Amino acid sequence: MFENINMYTKDRELIAIVGPSGIGKSTLLRVLGGFVKPLKGEIRLLGKKVTSPTPKIALIHQSIATFPWLTALENVKLGLKYRKLPKEEEDRLAKHMLEVVGLQGFEDVYPKQMSGGMRQRIAIARALAANPLVLLMDEPFSHLDELTAEGLRQEVHSMLFYESTTLHSVVLVSHSLSEVVELADRVYVLNGRPATVIGEVEIKLERPRNPKDESFQEYLDILYALLTPVKKGGNNNE
Amino acid sequence: MNEILLIFLASLASLGRVFLTIGLSIITGWFLGYIAIKSKAFENIYISVVEIFESVPVISFFPVVLIFFVYRIGGYIGIELAVDFLVFTAVVWNIWIGIYQAFKTVPSDLLEVSENYRLGFLGKMAKLYIPYSWPRIAANLIPSFADAIFYITVSEVFSIGSSSYHVFGIGTLIGEFTASQEYTLALDGLGILAIPIIIFTYLLRRFANYTVSKYGLDTEIKVTKRGRMRIRYATRMSNTIAPFVKLSKYVTRIGSRSASSEEETRRNLPWRYLGIGISVLLLGLLVYGAFSTISSVPKSVWLYLISTTPNVLFNLLIDYIRVLFIAIVSLVFSIFLGYFIATRERVEKVLIPAIQTYASFPAPAYFPLLFTATISFIHTVFGSWTDEFYVILLGFISTFYYVFYSYWLGIKNVPNQYWEIMKNYNFSFWHKLRYVIIPSTFPYIISGLSSTINSAWGGLAIGEYWEISNSYTLQVSHGIMKSIAVATANGNIPLAAWDSLIFGIVVMIYSIFFTRKMMDLAREKYVAEEGIYLP
Repeated sequence: MFENINMYTKDRELIAIVGPSGIGKSTLLRVLGGFVKPLKGEIRLLGKKVTSPTPKIALIHQSIATFPWLTALENVKLGLKYRKLPKEEEDRLAKHMLEVVGLQGFEDVYPKQMSGGMRQRIAIARALAANPLVLLMDEPFSHLDELTAEGLRQEVHSMLFYESTTLHSVVLVSHSLSEVVELADRVYVLNGRPATVIGEVEIKLERPRNPKDESFQEYLDILYALLTPVKKGGNNNE
Repeated sequence: MNEILLIFLASLASLGRVFLTIGLSIITGWFLGYIAIKSKAFENIYISVVEIFESVPVISFFPVVLIFFVYRIGGYIGIELAVDFLVFTAVVWNIWIGIYQAFKTVPSDLLEVSENYRLGFLGKMAKLYIPYSWPRIAANLIPSFADAIFYITVSEVFSIGSSSYHVFGIGTLIGEFTASQEYTLALDGLGILAIPIIIFTYLLRRFANYTVSKYGLDTEIKVTKRGRMRIRYATRMSNTIAPFVKLSKYVTRIGSRSASSEEETRRNLPWRYLGIGISVLLLGLLVYGAFSTISSVPKSVWLYLISTTPNVLFNLLIDYIRVLFIAIVSLVFSIFLGYFIATRERVEKVLIPAIQTYASFPAPAYFPLLFTATISFIHTVFGSWTDEFYVILLGFISTFYYVFYSYWLGIKNVPNQYWEIMKNYNFSFWHKLRYVIIPSTFPYIISGLSSTINSAWGGLAIGEYWEISNSYTLQVSHGIMKSIAVATANGNIPLAAWDSLIFGIVVMIYSIFFTRKMMDLAREKYVAEEGIYLP
């Protein structure tokens, strides 16, 4: 499925992976998280080989996954269970994470009573509560309506790299190029079969980024160009 | 006659009864289902009656069957009809409900096409309704087959007072062999019976796959009324097949599709009148039956029956404790074994078909052999509790698979995202069970548990008073099922009927107030699919 994939992330960096549908972006994300074992090659976190899923690399799903029988607070506490903390400490940390994602006051509300955007915030809070070093985000805004998605996008960077989180890097998979330009520090472009990295683009734009800026559009054009297959013979006007 | 040939013929006779009753259930189901979708009055009565009868264990029909068929009709035909009727009551309800659900969910586009081409009753049935009902029927055939085999092996022989009645069949034959201590022949009988059971279970699974692939449609089912999840009838088949999972979730009542045109309303009119007519007839028969029963029983008998009521209720309480114990043991057993199997692909591939086949194999047929082989050892361990142990064991092995399969099916339906979350956050085994697996499978557990409880009554009915060998009658000190069996054996039909009536009422109340409440709770809070946000 993949060939010659060589990726890295730096401290406090959000990298994005883009590519055509069906290329294996979500699978690659699961390989990075240790959910799927690569046939060849390896994943390393701070130099240590990743062989199975770990709370140090937390995954956020595309189809927003919360537990309907647990309140927002209880959902977040699931990310803390492996640490075997006293109940009071669990409550304190979980409440703090809900604050970080902007859900203070919603501790006792069930996910079913919340909008999709709020549910994704719970999932993010749950992931952050686990004290991850890396966050893997699998098209996290694709099931949200455009308005909610945009609101969350504008907040998510500061939310993730908030001073009290342990996060060092975020890997975002997306099919939306403008989302990627808006959020990422660096973009890996996947294409071909087997999939390989055909381009790496560093986005050097100040935050918050404005999609109407000329430079934003230029980055979009670069990504489009990398993803558009060049016809054999080279004449696109025919 | 050569014994092996005899066993073979007896197996054929029993299987013939099973397929006859299943066939009859399907054909009547088509007609009643059609009337139900055409007549609101009939639909309400039909579904209510079926739901009630479905929640009452087969065994409570026993005295009614005996009175009617053995006394009113009499002769070999009366006994044969009594046996067939008992088996019929074991298989018919789920098939009828399955067909009704299928008819109610025929896509309106297809209905409009059939209206467009002005198909009549036969045309619609042949081209639309019957084909569309096959996947549901097929899904119900495996459990119906297993239920029928379970009850046929015990209902082929019964006694009232000093008279013993039996029909030719494998249940009778194995019973006779065991009673006359010809254990090798009894084992031969079981072995020969196992062959068609394995073959038919396999063929029914293939048939179910075939019907789903040929007649299954992916339709959006709009559920507007509550109803029970149809887990029980999907539990004995391989539910890793997605359409079966879907079928298992359908509910009993589905919103009505209103007639699209005046022409259609006019054409439905005869069916509506027929439905109303049948409803009135059915209600009339029920009222007449109740009235004639009450008036035909002398006052002294009524007084005697009423005086037994506290005793009946005490017996019922004791049996509820047994049922509760069986249910708890089954649940605990299932939670661990089900999780173990569901999370190990290779073990699952072997064990699930093996348990399915075992579940179709009637416990009453082999239990006397198991009893004979273990009685001396069990007696040294349990002493005066020996009979109690065997009764509970019979109840357990007859019913644990309902909750087991239901739970297993629930685990197979836990969304993949939840598994990833559990791995991601290093959940311990207990955390997995407590926060994810048990809540996710809660609707399945309740449904399976309710089936286990219903079926446990069948196990108790057989075990609480059972002449298991020539020299031993298995019996408990107290129990409503024992009371029914003893009263029937003594020819005290009024007491047996009174016991059954009180039992039926209590089970029905339990079903309405407990099972449904739990199902409502499960549906309200514990639906794992709702945790995955897909707008």
